[in-house]
Amino acid sequence: MLKPLKVVIAREFLHNLLNLRFTVGLALCLTVTVACIIILSHDYRQELADYSRRVNLQGEFLGKYALTDWINQMMPGQKPPERFRPVIIGIPGNETENSLDENPLPILFPRLDSLFIVTIVMSLLALLFSYDAVTGERERGTLRQMISNSVSRTTILLGKFLGGIASLLIPFILALLVGVLCINLNPNIHWDGSAWAELGLLIAASLTFITSFYLLGLMVSTWSRSSSVSMLNCLFLWVLLVLVIPNVGPYISAQLRRIPSIRAMERQAAEIKRAWLEAGPPREKEVVEQFRGKYGGLFSQFEALGFGQAQEEQKGNPEKVGQLAAADPRFKAMVESFRDELARLGQERRTALNKAMLDLGADLRAKAAAQTRLAKYLAAVSPLADFVYVARDLTGTGLRSLKYFEKSQGEYRWRFRQYASGVEAAVEAAHKNEPRPEGGWFLDLRDHPRFVFQEEPWKDKLGAVLPYWGILGLFNVVFFAGAFAGFVRYDVR
Amino acid sequence: MLKSIIKREILSNLLSYRFSIMTVLSTTLTLASIFLMYRDYGLARENYEVLASEDAAAVIPPTPLSIFAKGLEENLCRAYALSLGERISASSKQQSVNDLFKLFTVPDLLYIIKVILSLCAMLFAFDMVSGEKEAGTLRQSLSGSLGRPILIVGKWIGGFTSFILPFFLAALLGAIFVSLQPKVAMGPQDWARLGLFLLSSVIYLAVFFSLGLLISCLTHESSSSLVVSLFAWTLLVFLIPNLGNILARQLVEVPTVQQLELTRRHIALSALMEVNRLPDWPERKTRLEQARSEQDQLTEDYRNRFARLVTLSQNITRVSPTAAFTFLATDLAGTGIAEERRLKQAVVQYLSERGDDQEPDRPRFSYQRTSCRVVLGRGGLGNFLILVLFDLLFIAATYVAFLRYDVR
Repeated sequence: MLKPLKVVIAREFLHNLLNLRFTVGLALCLTVTVACIIILSHDYRQELADYSRRVNLQGEFLGKYALTDWINQMMPGQKPPERFRPVIIGIPGNETENSLDENPLPILFPRLDSLFIVTIVMSLLALLFSYDAVTGERERGTLRQMISNSVSRTTILLGKFLGGIASLLIPFILALLVGVLCINLNPNIHWDGSAWAELGLLIAASLTFITSFYLLGLMVSTWSRSSSVSMLNCLFLWVLLVLVIPNVGPYISAQLRRIPSIRAMERQAAEIKRAWLEAGPPREKEVVEQFRGKYGGLFSQFEALGFGQAQEEQKGNPEKVGQLAAADPRFKAMVESFRDELARLGQERRTALNKAMLDLGADLRAKAAAQTRLAKYLAAVSPLADFVYVARDLTGTGLRSLKYFEKSQGEYRWRFRQYASGVEAAVEAAHKNEPRPEGGWFLDLRDHPRFVFQEEPWKDKLGAVLPYWGILGLFNVVFFAGAFAGFVRYDVR
Repeated sequence: MLKSIIKREILSNLLSYRFSIMTVLSTTLTLASIFLMYRDYGLARENYEVLASEDAAAVIPPTPLSIFAKGLEENLCRAYALSLGERISASSKQQSVNDLFKLFTVPDLLYIIKVILSLCAMLFAFDMVSGEKEAGTLRQSLSGSLGRPILIVGKWIGGFTSFILPFFLAALLGAIFVSLQPKVAMGPQDWARLGLFLLSSVIYLAVFFSLGLLISCLTHESSSSLVVSLFAWTLLVFLIPNLGNILARQLVEVPTVQQLELTRRHIALSALMEVNRLPDWPERKTRLEQARSEQDQLTEDYRNRFARLVTLSQNITRVSPTAAFTFLATDLAGTGIAEERRLKQAVVQYLSERGDDQEPDRPRFSYQRTSCRVVLGRGGLGNFLILVLFDLLFIAATYVAFLRYDVR
């Protein structure tokens, strides 16, 4: 079994190596990867310099103008460029979204990085290498000859898979090695052990992704009679899996799990406010009725002075009420009790309104989360989406890392505020008898805690991406099983 | 003779498996995209109605043409208002609630045409000559009195007609569906823009069809033709536009928006701090004016650099028909870079004239998207001509290559 397998692998490997597609693939992979990494490394250097300037600017401000009331306007905690920036371009956060000068170019032309090379170039190459693995042999008549020997179909299929994938991975591995060399030689890139571990995991995930497309091509080939049909089917599936499903997913989920538009939200908020305002007078009327019953004539006297309901307070005569309250302790007690009751009612209603508004906000966030989740699940039908989740989350260039950064930044800013409060308390104690200057006291924050963003541990990242990596693995299993089922029944004539 | 070749080509295409699969793909995707983007437009319209009711904001309505080419519409339809330190801030985008939109591309008709249908066009043409040669039918065809020029012209016309018709019908059906919706009000100007968009789509797809045919005339095996076609497609559709964009960034250094915003805030806050320490109003006024001028200078410098970056990026990427088509289509739809720049200028002018004045009788912000004529005059025609030039170039090269083609 092993010897025929070796022969089939070597044959497949050599056949691909001498084919035009290998040369084209190698040229494409090498050129694009090297160009990409060199340009992105230069970009990374610029972004690092930009980041340093921002940090210095904030430090300079805090050194000069750290007044109590103003430090919130220049809170440190800038986002550094992702360390994988020379390989994969990270997703922009929301921090520039409200700027008039936001850069629109990436919207029209998504940037080119290693993720693009793997998802588009390598997946297409994988299909090009495998679409005629079986049909091509049948058309040339060599499949018949092979089967007529004592080589089993399983061995042929396994040999075709191993030989084909080995030849396909040569351009990828070569490009990768050159890329790693570029990163290693670049003086601006300092990767520690965890970064290299993440790169290793990224390569492993890329191999899983590329293999799944190779197997898809092999499967289609075993189910087709001619290479032209196989090629068309492969490209049809490629378009669906790579270009259509991931992009359409968020839009379908936006239709299935509707998030109220700003207008609908505003309408709901207005409705709550209107109901709240309308519920006010009847509740106050109940309180008035209650006091009428309890105090009788005394309360009528109070009402005769223009009081009774909260909104009428301004029309009343407070001086007269004050005189009566001073003369009659019972009247005074009643007025105080009435006002307390109205204040309690007001407080209760305000709390209810706040709760309703908070619930509305929480509802929106829950719906947004549900929509994002559904979009993620819908897109997971495509190996590309699974790979994008895995690659981005592993390298800290995805949505998970954005959330992780926001969490770290929030924690740091809390520590910073605590530190500033401590300094402020000391300053206030030192100037106990002096009036507070406009803008607050000047705080000496030279020793404030510095923000150093620590990447999420790679083991945590790995734990988070395993389900999607698992789906990628499942695609491999399903496509191989499909190829096997197709090839066992394949009519080689 | 030409007629019979065209007829034969159309008939053989109609009966082929390739035609069925491409027709299903192009029709389904075109219609699904128009439907999805129409729903998206409805949401944008609802948002506009709310944002427009806020007096302080400068906001424009979404254009129905964003259903076909969304471009920068999310940016354009934000509400702009003045905030601390005379800074103009924009409201959040509707899509910002769902983070997943950041990961993937908008599946509008522009995307379908420029990526998917361009691939389909190449797949339609890649073996029209090399495939016939392999099958031996090319030899037979040319053994009679049939001239090569007529054969290649007939093949081009027949092949392209059978490829473009299903897409054209689907796009037309989608446009009719959209125009029948009560939420969509398309004026004559919009119809003219849509017409030009569809015309430029046809010319763009013809570029890829001609390129596929050219590659077929330059190769002798359909498998080689396929490999080269896919390589060319990847290069023109993805690599050149995206690489050109990042290459331009290396040539024109522009600071990040974060840095610009932070520096502007630093200047404003520093001035406020120092003003409190100054004793007299004239000195305070001078300090505030100085800060204002510093901010304006910084902003102007940034915007000038950015304009240079955009121009350079456009010039580099125009080497690819995909980039030229993207610029042309988004400009025609009123969702392009030029429109965004013009809107920003109008917003800056309106808000700086209006200042913090909140009087109710103040004129509201009004903005008309650039007319079709102006779009064509300012670069649109240039992009259109680039596409035509690519067409002519590839057709001429195909013609020459076929005349020299060894049919044995």
